[in-house]
Parts: sequence; C-alpha cells; structure tokens
Amino acid sequence: MAWYPRWIGVVVTLTIAGTRLLEAADTPPSAVDFARDVQPILSDFCYHCHGPDPGSRKGGLRLDQRDAALAGGKSGLPAITPGVPDQSELIARIFSTDPEEVMPSPESHRTLSEQQKQVVKRWIEEGALWKDHWAFIAPVRPPLPAPPASGNSPIDAFIEARLAQSAIQPSPEADRRTLLRRVTLDLTGLPPTPEAIDAFLADRRPDAYERVVDALLASPQHGERWARPWLDVARYADSNGYSVDAPRQIWKYRDWVVSALNRDLPYDQFVIEQLAGDLLPNATRDQRVATGFNRNTQINQEGGIDPEQFRVESVNDRVGTFGSAFLGLTLACAQCHDHKFDPISQREYYQLYAFFNQTVDDGHGSSKPGGVLEFPDETRSDTSASPEVETARFELYSYLESRDPAHVSWRPEITPAVLAQLKPEMQHNVMQPWAQLTAGQRRQLYGYFVRDDAEYNRRLEKLTALERSQNRVVTTLIMSELSEPRTTHLFIKGDFTRPGEVVSPGTPAILPPLRAAGPRATRLDLARWLFDPAQPLPARVFVNRVWQVYFGRGLVETENDFGLQGSRPSHPELLDWLATDFAESGWSMKALHRKIVTSATYRRSSTARPDLSEKDPLNLLLSHQIRLRLDAEWIRDVGLAASGLLVQRLGGPPVFPPQPDNVMGLGQVNRAWLTSEGDDRHRRALYTHHWRATPHPAAAVFDAPDSFSACTRRVRSNTPLQALTLLNDRQFFEFAQALGARLQHAAATDDERLQTGFRLCVSRAPTAPELERLRRLLAELRLPAESGQAASESEVWTTVGRVLLNLDETLNRS
Amino acid sequence: MSQLDSLPADAAAHLHALTRRHFLSRCAIGLGNVALAALLDQSARAAGPAQPADPTTPRDPHFPARAKSVIYLFMAGGPSQLDLFDYKPRLNELNGQPVPDSLVAGKRFAFMTTSHGSQLLGSRRAFARHGQSGAWVSDLMPHTARVVDDLTIVKSCAADLFNHAPAKLFMNTGSGQFGRPSMGSWVTYGLGTESRNLPGFVVLQSGPRGPRGGSVNWGTGFLPTTFQGVPFRGQGDPILNLTNPAGVSATRQRQTLDALRDLNLQQAVATGDAEIHTRIAAYEMASRMQSSAPELVDLRGESAATRALYGIHDDAPSFARNCLLARRLVERGSRFVQLYHTNWDSHGGPGENLQSDFEARCREVDQAQAALVTDLKQRGLLKDTLVIWGGEFGSTPMGENRDTTGRNHHIDAFTMWFAGGGTPAGRIIGETDELGFNAVQNRAHVHDLHATILHLLGLDHRRLTFRFQGRDFRLTDVHGNLIESLIA
Repeated sequence: MAWYPRWIGVVVTLTIAGTRLLEAADTPPSAVDFARDVQPILSDFCYHCHGPDPGSRKGGLRLDQRDAALAGGKSGLPAITPGVPDQSELIARIFSTDPEEVMPSPESHRTLSEQQKQVVKRWIEEGALWKDHWAFIAPVRPPLPAPPASGNSPIDAFIEARLAQSAIQPSPEADRRTLLRRVTLDLTGLPPTPEAIDAFLADRRPDAYERVVDALLASPQHGERWARPWLDVARYADSNGYSVDAPRQIWKYRDWVVSALNRDLPYDQFVIEQLAGDLLPNATRDQRVATGFNRNTQINQEGGIDPEQFRVESVNDRVGTFGSAFLGLTLACAQCHDHKFDPISQREYYQLYAFFNQTVDDGHGSSKPGGVLEFPDETRSDTSASPEVETARFELYSYLESRDPAHVSWRPEITPAVLAQLKPEMQHNVMQPWAQLTAGQRRQLYGYFVRDDAEYNRRLEKLTALERSQNRVVTTLIMSELSEPRTTHLFIKGDFTRPGEVVSPGTPAILPPLRAAGPRATRLDLARWLFDPAQPLPARVFVNRVWQVYFGRGLVETENDFGLQGSRPSHPELLDWLATDFAESGWSMKALHRKIVTSATYRRSSTARPDLSEKDPLNLLLSHQIRLRLDAEWIRDVGLAASGLLVQRLGGPPVFPPQPDNVMGLGQVNRAWLTSEGDDRHRRALYTHHWRATPHPAAAVFDAPDSFSACTRRVRSNTPLQALTLLNDRQFFEFAQALGARLQHAAATDDERLQTGFRLCVSRAPTAPELERLRRLLAELRLPAESGQAASESEVWTTVGRVLLNLDETLNRS
Repeated sequence: MSQLDSLPADAAAHLHALTRRHFLSRCAIGLGNVALAALLDQSARAAGPAQPADPTTPRDPHFPARAKSVIYLFMAGGPSQLDLFDYKPRLNELNGQPVPDSLVAGKRFAFMTTSHGSQLLGSRRAFARHGQSGAWVSDLMPHTARVVDDLTIVKSCAADLFNHAPAKLFMNTGSGQFGRPSMGSWVTYGLGTESRNLPGFVVLQSGPRGPRGGSVNWGTGFLPTTFQGVPFRGQGDPILNLTNPAGVSATRQRQTLDALRDLNLQQAVATGDAEIHTRIAAYEMASRMQSSAPELVDLRGESAATRALYGIHDDAPSFARNCLLARRLVERGSRFVQLYHTNWDSHGGPGENLQSDFEARCREVDQAQAALVTDLKQRGLLKDTLVIWGGEFGSTPMGENRDTTGRNHHIDAFTMWFAGGGTPAGRIIGETDELGFNAVQNRAHVHDLHATILHLLGLDHRRLTFRFQGRDFRLTDVHGNLIESLIA
C-alpha cells in the first residue's frame, strides 16, 4: 500500500479533470458564472433538502429560487446577501467546522471541497447574479465563429474555435478506407462491400465522399440502422413482459419506424404521428400504426393481479418515456412527490399523466375495442402463436408442470410391450425424468397415459380448439381514446389506491404554455406543443441523441437529464445551432445526419492522442474521433455480411435465428424457440424476435436493452461472456464456416484469400506483420497435430474465419 | 497521468479500478449517468496502453468485513412461514373462524377479488422446539431443524409488494420497478471478486421453471453489465457457449486465440486504444473459464460422504446439486452466489397445495440447505460466508379454499434465516402477533435486511452509490436501518 497517498493525488486530479474539464483545458474563467459554476453545487449538495420539493424541505429554506434564498429560512437570517459573504448564512454554514452547524450535514456523507466553497463565496462577493437554468431557455441560433481552418461546416467552426481557445490541434482526416467503413456502419449498420470500397477508392472527384453519404442515406438499410436507437427509446419488444411474457404482435410499428426514416418523414410529423396519430383528422392506417409507440408498455398477465394497478403502471411508463424521449427530463421523479431538483411539481406530473390516461387498453392484456388494428388483407407467415393460443398453451403447460413425478403414475406400467407401441421419440422420453422433459414432451406423454384427468382434458380442448381456429390475421397494437374521458387524480405518494385531487391535462409551467384546439387538451395538443417555436428542449434533446451515436457521447453527456442535475453542454453554441438549424430546415433527420457526417469533425482520425492526456484526456473538445464498439445488432449483421449469408429483406414478422438450447427456460414459462429455417435464419438482428423475459443471449451479452423501459443510451461492456459468444456460439461458428468457404472460393492463393478476408471484415488490407501472423497460423494448422492429423482445408479456412470475425477491429468502428 | 507510470503493473490496474470506483460513487458535479464508466475507460485510453482496467479486481470494503461472500437461497414463490417456522397455536384454535376485521381493514391482497381467503387456517404441521436455541421448526424440515443452532431465524421480515414479479424485484433490487441493480451486482460492484477464473456473481436455478421476471432479478440495471449475474445452467453448458464448437479441438481453440491475441495487440499498438487490452484480457478469461467451469461442475471429485450429506444421488439437476456447486464457487472465490428454487406458491390450486405439493418443495430443499450449512462449517468457510434463506414474501394466516387448501401472498410478516458471515448462531429475532399476521417486535423490512447484509460485507449502504440520471442511487434507496441483532 506504499502508493496509497499518491492514489489520493490522482483521484483529486481526475475528479477535477472530469468535473471541471472545460476549465482544466484552458485558463480559469475570470468571473463566476451562476449556471455553470454555482448552480451545480447548490443542486448537488443543497437541493435535496432545500429545493423545489416542500415535502423534504428542511428549516423552511429553499435555495433554488433567488427571492427565497435571499429571504432565508426559519432562522430569519438571509441565506444570501449579494456582495456580502459575511452576512450570508449560507457562507457561515458551509465554512463552519462545528458538526452541529456545518452544511451539508455530516449525516448526508457529502462534503464540499475547499474549491467549491470558494466558488460559492466568490459568486456572492460578485453580487450573486442569478440566471435560469440554461436548458429551460429556448435556443437562439448563435452567430457562427470564424470559418474553420480544416472543415467546411458550421459544426467545424464551433468545434475548432473551442479547440483554438485551448491551443489544441485537431487530428487529421482518417484514411479513406477507415472513413468509408465508419460512415457505412454509422449510416447503415453494415460494413462496406468490397465493390463499394473499390469504387470509393477509385473515385477521385472532390465530392466523392458526399456522394457516398447520399447513396447510403438513400439506401433502405439506413432506416433499419437508425430505427434501432429509436426503438430503444420506444422500448419495442415482441412480448408482453412481466412474468408471463406472452408474445404480442406489434412489428408493424417497427416497420413503420423503418419506413418513416427511409422516406425522411420530418421529425415533428414523425413524433406527432407516434404520440397522437389516431387523433389526426382523417387518420390514415399508417398514422394509427405509428401510435404503437405508446403501446410498447408491458402487460401483466399474472393471475391474481389488480389490473388497474398495471394499467396505472403503463400510464406512468408513458409519462416517463415522454419525459426522457422528448424533454430530456426525469419526470418519473415527480410521481410520488415534487421533483427534488427540477421545477416539476407532482401535480404537473399528473397533468401530463391525464393525457395518457384516456386510452382503451388495460393492464391485463384485454383491452376494450379500439386497441388493436387488424390487417385483414394480410395473413401471418410467422411461426409464433397468437396471444390467445399462447395463453391457452400456458394454462395447459403450467398445469402439466404442476403434475410432479408423483402424479406420473404410468411408470410401473411400462413393459417392453407397452414401450413397443410408442412412437420412437416417446419411447425415449418416457424413460427420462419428468423434470427434464419439455412441455411439449410432457403433453405428448401425459395425453397418452392419463386419459381420465378432467382438468387436463378441459385445458387441452380449449387449446386445440384455439389452435384450429387460430386467427391468422396480422394485427398491431394502437392507441385509441375512450369515448368518455377518465377522471385523473393525483396519487398521494404515487400510490394508486390513494387518489388525491382531480387534475386536468396540462403541461409544466416552466415550459411554454399549451395551446389546446378544443375545450379539453388532448394528446394531439400535447404532441404539437413539443414543436412550439418557444420550446427549449425537444430539438436539443433529439440532436444530442443523434450526436452521441456518432461521437460516443452527447454534447450534453446526460442525454436523458437536461435538468439541474444533468451535465452542462460541452459546446452550448453548437448544440443550439444544431437544434435551431434542425427546426429551420424543416426537421429533416437525413439532413441532420448529412451535416454531421460530412463535417471535418466527424471525419477525423480516431487514433488516440497521448499528447492530450493533460489538456483533454477525455476528448470532450473533439479534437479527434473515437473507436466505438459496435452495438449488439451490428455485430451480428457484420458477421452475416462478411460471411455472405446476409439476407436483405425489409420488414415483416419477427424471426428466430439459432440460439443456445434451454435459454427460454430462464423465464417463468418454458416457451419454445422454433428456430427459423431458410432465409429467416440470416436476417438482420433488427428482426430477431425479442422476448422481454428471455432476450436472445447474443444480443443481451452485447448490452442490447431489455425493453422494460425507455433506453436513451446503451452501455458498452467488454466481458468474457462476449468472447465466449463470438468464439463458440453456434450461429457465429456458422458465420466463420461460411466466411471460410467464401475465402476458399474467392481466390487461389493463401495471401489473396487472407487479403479478401481482411477486406470483408475490416475493410482494409492486412499490414505485413498481420499477414505474416496469419501465414504462421496457416502453417500451424497444416502441420500434423498431436493426434497425427493436419487440419483439412475447410477447417483451416473456418479457423481463419473465426480469427477474423473475432478481431477487435471487426467489432469496432474506428 | 504520469504518476500511473511509476506504479507497479498490477498496482496500476488496481489503482485504476479504485479510481474508477471512487469516480463512480463519489464524483461530484454534473456528471450523471453510466457514461462515467466510459469516461474512465477513455481516460485509460488517453493514458496509452497501460494496464487494462478490470472493474472486478478485488477492492477493500468501507470497513472490515465479517462476510467475504454470500450464498443466497431464494425460495421463489414465497414459502409459508406458518407451516415451517412461525408456530401459532392460537391460529390453530381459531381455524375456520373469520379473520378479525382489525387485521385486514385497508389491506390489499393478491387475488383480492376472489371470494376465498377470509377464514383463518391453522397449520396442520407438527411443530417442535429444536437445539439450544429452542427454535420452533415444523416436521417438514427435519434436517434444517438439526442445524438451528447455526442459524439466525428472523420471523419479523416485511416487504412492500405482493405480486410475485414485482416482489422478487423488490427483494433483489430494493425497488419494484425495473431498471435497478440487483444486490449481487451492487456487491460485486463494491467489492469486486476474488475469482480470476469464474464470474463473481453466479446464479443457479432449480425447480420446474425459472423465477418470475427472469434475468432482471440478477440484472445490473444502470450499473455496467460487467457486474451482472451469470446464470449457470443445470444441464448442458453451465455457462452458455462454454464448449468449443463441434469439431474444434483444444489445440485449434488455442491456436485461434493466440493468433487473435497477436493481431489484437498489433491493433492496440496502432490505435493506442487501451480498450483493446481489456478485450484481450476478456478472451483470456473466457479461455480460463472454458477449463475451470467444467472442473467446477464436475462433482466426481467430491467424496461419497459429501454427496450423501447433500442428498445427491445422480447427475440430474437439483437444488441439492446447486447447493454443492455454491460451496465450490465460494471456495473458488466467487463473491455472490444466488440459488433460485421454484415453485413455493401455495394457493391451493393444482400443483400449489399446502399438502403434497408443499411437502415436495420442502423435501427438495431441506436436506441440502442443512448440508450446505454443515459442510461450510466443517470446512471453516461458514465464518466468511453469509447464507441467506427466504422468499419474496410469506403466506397469510387466512386460508384459500380451492381444490385443496392453500394460503395467499403475505408481506406483513414472514420468516427468513441467515447463517455464518458474521451473523449470530442460534438466535431468533422478531415476533409476530398471535395469528402471525403482523410483526409486533423487531420488524425487519427488506431495506433493513439489505442494509445489514451490505454491512456484514463491510459496505456502508449509504456510501455504496452510483450516479445515474443525476442522482446517487443506492440499494436501499433512501431507506434502511441496520438490524443490530443480526450482527454477531
């Protein structure tokens, strides 16, 4: 532990670097800025007890409003006297050494640093100027800084002006192959084909890159790729969640998102249709499909529940999702009490709740008419059952589960003669322990041996009747309003059994006023309100989420919290420029993508910059690009594309690519995973059936969200279980075999094959040492092993395929 | 970061882990979210290819720990304490009488709209006092009755939620909402793990099906997924994809891994990205798991006496087998092992009655759970290993009269027991009223249990925090008081 004291030093340095990075990157600011320097301290250390929530307020003091802070609390002493720290109780308390006096109190386990205390003191000395939180002030298009040296876009002007302030040189542009792979993965989720690489390298026109970008944006794969982050936010899944997790049909909504992105439906329209497409005048079928956004809530089909409880849960989920998806606010914090940090009251929470409280669906999966849209002209081609069949199957199988071995009384009867009459698979199964049999195997045996179980027969008949009459019509879940509005109450402490005052639909006072078209505000009014020109949040929140996909981090790092506890933007002017430009350009999402990926900032090399380890170790100033591990879906898709197995078909019911055995047994209900055959085995990961309780392991292990609630940003983990998946999973091995075969056919010589493999996986030729290492691998494989057998040529090339598909570079976007 | 360079190699890795933890748990202003993990990993990037950060490296607790590891026997479905540990002669006397209004006024129950469940149901089990402590145990758990002097039995546990899935989440994460980290994740996040060849947080399951809610019960919520529970399976690969693909020999796998490592190293040098070192380390760990996990689950090395102690007679998956696996995992340094056994739900319907079905559940667990305590003790592991036994709630004193008798879900009083890991031996904590409805003494709420479990592991539940969405989250949220009597 000799290094312990030094550790402390490093922590302090790191903490300052992390929290005050922008200051660390250049000279300290001359004057204290309330919003940047002081409010975060007050919010972090004081607002929990002295903030907006009267329920947790202590000593009658609130420090989130200027007048209240100047007045002080019960003590009668002014907490803040502008210009006079000595007459400010706040200063007396934070500098106190008396444990009875000092703030934050010792029980809070929070301690202000000396530097933080001095910041607060200096701010009061300088007059305690107060300004509203930046995110609640609508963005104004900022003037552009001087034209950038290397780029041609306003984005570069902002980025380079900031870099120049800190005297940091931006990195050069990435080489053309890296750039092509980066932009192709970012815009389509697939690697460039060898033909695309050749064409781009051969195209010496000055706008060759822009032409590639336009082609990628126009390709249908663009919608498939960018649907994914939106579906994360929409918590899209193909099952109901909770414990029973029965399947549901809502893939029409997923396809709607892909199509809307591909036709560049303007973002305002995109959002309005999803929130309130059913309420638009003369709503089209497509617009009603779009409202599936709010039907991606879970449904609890567990026996014995109070359906109202789970209906309330789904409405709460809609409010919480509305907050994180469009406003970047943690509205859910105001469900039980006024928000502790942001100016959102509990009453306002329930006013938003009132908008979503008028729909026909209940919490038990049996909604009133209007919750399901049918497509009578289409029939299902998928192998999954309808929810009704699935429920009946569940009832039968859970009954069978309850028949423990004691009930399975036919064992003694099994003589060789009895055995001989059974079907071959039954002959095997009947000798197995009951606990090890699948539900289908139990059904077969039980039905054969036990013929007088009335309860079993009743459940079986119900299932077989449903299976026969199975409604094969395609449906999707949609929003529909009740004809008579429900009364919305505030729930005391968030408890739905304790209704408080009645509230009507409304929006938080801190945001622009709502303009209702009729006497009672509707979801459509709420959706349109998001695009009021005075809105400070929705455009910023969306452009920030797009930005984070391209750079690994948003300009506002806390992409789901623009409130007082969130982080401040690293480039506030750029954020506001992007937001205002987005609105002014007619909310074109493709135009936004194009602006970002054609900027010099996006195109820079991602090679690490050890020279900046002091000045900007976290690359907050974006002097260079960053290597990012691909999301779960693109890891599969890259494997499919490189191996040549990829089937490019857009849309349709979910598919069931191979997964390890027994995964489905991890949920409450042992469901079958009927592996798709033919083309559906090799579709993009977007189309894999997503069970909430038992997600596909290859997706879950790479941090695909569980879809229980809105996910605005994925974590990127790097674990041994990922390695096991890529090395040993049946499907990834299939990719390696296919890639190996592809290489064998592609060329005659080892070197040519290795070069082709490199191009397919990482879009470049191997370096000389890399080629040398792979030649060595070939030599090792072709030597007789200890068993005396050299690898066959197909084994050799499968092994090469495994190495290439497992390369860190294959899994990353550089 | 130059100070890092002067450190010994593994000290630097340790330092990074510590720094990272400090950052994640204490870092101040304005840096919310999971992004912190990424931030620090990027800071490692900027520092060049130094030591890879391994967030599971063992870390010192807040104060000296009593327990180093946890084996949590989760009785999924909620076993009836009134038929096992909470002996209520008065309830037997009042069998069939309506439940007093004073007890149920204003309460809500699962299946509340059905007509059954308003009459008191006495236990049909024979109870006796056992051991020095004189603890009451029914005839359903004869083996457990013999080890009561090694246990602390808490009869006054209380929870908030009475449907299975939310209640399981509540017991595991301190919240009925999805998205919070499970206890095992919090513990491995706080302490890392001693095991270099096996995951720090392992989940084992037995019974007819998995627990309701599935993987969220051992999920990481907003914590990095590195800390998630790894579900070993009772049959096939104990870890998914643990065996090489068909036809790939150990030699071929090694050749593949060697080539992969060399190529990845070249890329690490070319890009300066330290994350590549983490990936290289992950592949090596995966390779070690491929050899150590089969050894772990191969019980042939255990003596016949040990297998008999647990009641393991064949290779079939069972709770008994999982108990023995749990001991082996803890021996090999895993931090948190959680066993789920289903199904304890006892409403009285088919497969869920309080007679034959409940007896069967008890038979499945009784011998093995007692054997686990005995075995850990004999090997000197019990003092460092905290064993936890209990469901997500208990059962009502009122009966449900369906085909056969049963009981409803009950959150106001139920029994859990603890052994080892700094808990007292042979103590009984808490008391319920004469009908077993409410805890009338030493009420032990789930948040209090969580606080105490963390305390035994050397962690202050108020200081084990993670900043997410602008707020410092804890396992105990804003609740939790230490149960002093549960600490020896």
